[in-house]
Amino acid sequence: MRKSDGLHGLMFALPHLILFVVFLLVPVLYGFFISLHSWHVLAKSHPLVGLANYRAALSDDIFWIALRNTVSFVVLVVPLGNLVSLLLALGLAALRRFGTVYKVVYFLPVVISIAVVAVLWRWLYNTEIGLLNLYLKNMVGALRTIGLPLPAFEPTPWLSKPAWVMPSIALMSIWWTAGGNMVIYLAGIHNIPDDYYEAATLDGASGWQRFRSITWPLLRPTTLFCLVFSVLAAFQIFGQSYVLFAPGSGPARSGLTLALYMYLQGFNQYQLGYGTAVAYLLFAIVLVLTILQFRLLADREEVRAAR
Amino acid sequence: MKRWLRRSQLWLHLPMLFVAFLFLAPLLWMLSTAFKTPDDIIKGLGALRWLPRPITTENFVSVLGKAEEFPIWRWTANSVLVSLAVTALVLTVDSLAAYAYSRLRWRGRDALFGMLIATMLVPGQVLLIPMYLLIRGLGWFDTYWALIVPAGAGAFGVFLLRQFFLTIPIELEEAARIDGCGAWRVFRHVILPLSRAPLATLGIFTFMGTWNAFEGPLIFTDSLSMRTLPIGITIFQGRYNIEYGPMMAAAALAAIPVTIAFLLFQKQIIKGISLTGLAGR
Repeated sequence: MRKSDGLHGLMFALPHLILFVVFLLVPVLYGFFISLHSWHVLAKSHPLVGLANYRAALSDDIFWIALRNTVSFVVLVVPLGNLVSLLLALGLAALRRFGTVYKVVYFLPVVISIAVVAVLWRWLYNTEIGLLNLYLKNMVGALRTIGLPLPAFEPTPWLSKPAWVMPSIALMSIWWTAGGNMVIYLAGIHNIPDDYYEAATLDGASGWQRFRSITWPLLRPTTLFCLVFSVLAAFQIFGQSYVLFAPGSGPARSGLTLALYMYLQGFNQYQLGYGTAVAYLLFAIVLVLTILQFRLLADREEVRAAR
Repeated sequence: MKRWLRRSQLWLHLPMLFVAFLFLAPLLWMLSTAFKTPDDIIKGLGALRWLPRPITTENFVSVLGKAEEFPIWRWTANSVLVSLAVTALVLTVDSLAAYAYSRLRWRGRDALFGMLIATMLVPGQVLLIPMYLLIRGLGWFDTYWALIVPAGAGAFGVFLLRQFFLTIPIELEEAARIDGCGAWRVFRHVILPLSRAPLATLGIFTFMGTWNAFEGPLIFTDSLSMRTLPIGITIFQGRYNIEYGPMMAAAALAAIPVTIAFLLFQKQIIKGISLTGLAGR
């Protein structure tokens, strides 16, 4: 065994290290520095204001609106999205034939740009002539003609009524991203040895019992991994709201998210200090939540396994 | 009959097919709308007609024909150029770094690697404003540099390749060393040839991630001719707003190349995600 590769090691790491330091480490620290200043883009000087930007954000009604919207998006999209992904993976794992075709179809939306996804769904969500409302109308009509006591169809105001906005964005996002976690769950299911299922079947376990006492517990590291990264990704929601609503950010600001608020403060109001303070509050929330999830859902063994 | 039902798994295929329809329907409706006349978009919708009647290419013509207002070819070229350049950059610097962090021994290695991993939890948005100022300071605002160089800073690719390099038997490397190969030749002639699969995975992810990137191009560029396709789509939307025919034509044009790429490489992409556990965004 050789002792040390000395300079060689650093030489190989250096090209990436330089980029990493300049375009990741420095911006993270610089961002915090900016957030401590009153930093208007055009101003010549940027006076140090300490934590004033953070205090201002925490007493800013719009910040709380954005936080509430973001949280309601996370609460909708993480459990539902993971449920969809898990169900699709379970279905795929049970299939004997044509699995690849289904897998490709379910995964396809993942590769499409959020700009295309949002523009497309704005069309599907159109209140008068959007595909969704037209099908819902036909369905309600059909159910009424066979005698179900349903009220006449009222078009759903998917993107125009505040209460509907986040659920609509969540539905669109689940369609967009479910395939990604599905593939991870599927890999987790395939990692469970077949013997376990064979033994359980011999003992007369039903499908549900096999899921309950084999798949679900052994899938825990995978589930944890998917949940942590879903929360991380969901908190950063930006493109959906930007493309669907942008400046005002929807009816009664119901589409405004934290990341979008940071963007608007920074690049429409030119308040870079305030914008980065919002970004760092977002960072703090995400960090605390990630640590909490690891603490609550896993012991150390599982964390390592999920890696 | 009962046995046939069990064997054919019809009870499973029916819901799976229905869900497959739900996943495909938006994309098919996008294509269908793109080929419809404005009249058909409103009336045809009443009948929920999936096939355009008559089929028109008018929407594509109007989208592609306004090069002044919507330089869609330029945006496409920008997207191709930036995605290729970022992919080449990431593969180069990440494979070199991954070798250093996995197989070479040097002071500070583990501390640095720990720092790289820690930054993977930093939300991308935290970087946007400081990066904007940095890019302005470098004089890179509204240039290709701004879209390419910072993309090489991420730690994900280093982490992914390192995990793979660690699985390559050390004996292969020792043998090459005994034959007198230096670190560079071991990397070039032993490690890289054995790592085609993970390099391909990282390359495909990086390409697709860059192709679809949104926040960076939105903030680091400004002029019409420096935009990429996803930002171009939002420019279309600002102009056409409720003219869904041209909108869907533009959306389809942006979605088709990446869809074809996915269908060609679906096996590697899906396998790569289950190996790395990341959906590339």
